[in-house]
Amino acid sequence: MKNNIKVERAINGLTQEELANKVSVSRQTINAMEANKYVPSTVLALKIAKVFNKFVEDVFFLEEDD
Amino acid sequence: MPHKLLLPNKYKRIGWIIFIPSFILGLCIIIFGFESSWLNAKVFSIFPSQIFGDKKFFSTIPVNLTNTIVGTMFIIGCLLVGFTKEKNEDEYIAGIRLSSLLWAVFVNYLLLLLAFILIYDTAFLNVMIYNMFTVLLIFILRFNYILYKNAKSVSNEK
Repeated sequence: MKNNIKVERAINGLTQEELANKVSVSRQTINAMEANKYVPSTVLALKIAKVFNKFVEDVFFLEEDD
Repeated sequence: MPHKLLLPNKYKRIGWIIFIPSFILGLCIIIFGFESSWLNAKVFSIFPSQIFGDKKFFSTIPVNLTNTIVGTMFIIGCLLVGFTKEKNEDEYIAGIRLSSLLWAVFVNYLLLLLAFILIYDTAFLNVMIYNMFTVLLIFILRFNYILYKNAKSVSNEK
């Protein structure tokens, strides 16, 4: 799964730390997601989309091998 | 997803305080055969030795408590270090913890398998002694290594 958290974060002017605090996870988690090393749980994906005021599908995308 | 089986973070520090000295003492026991004579005591045992002496279940026997105390401290230390929440516990860290456990069990049994094939007789007794502690030890090493690596990659990025 891919995501554009980094882009959305830039649009919303949030640092990794600020986004992490908003969805109550560690900064490591945001960093790992942006590096495509971690696929978040549905709950976390929904929370992140909510922060950006978007649908989950606008932030997270399936890849061909998913 | 908070995990119910984990202790609060404050116990981690206590865990390290118990873990480190007992690890060092354990190494001393292994390397020098160190035994404190003032730790000789009579203890209650539910299952006495079958090789020496009379077989009496639930009796008191004389032993040296050095191994018992260091081993107990080491296991308690390992449990506290390994099974307390991180300061910023979340689903990602929970995932790392689980995969570290899987990795530790796997590596531990690979090593045991090697030892099984390559070590025989009374020397194998040593393998059994180490093997009591290696799962927890490998788990703690692996888990903290991954956390350390992640923390480093986070601090590199802004």
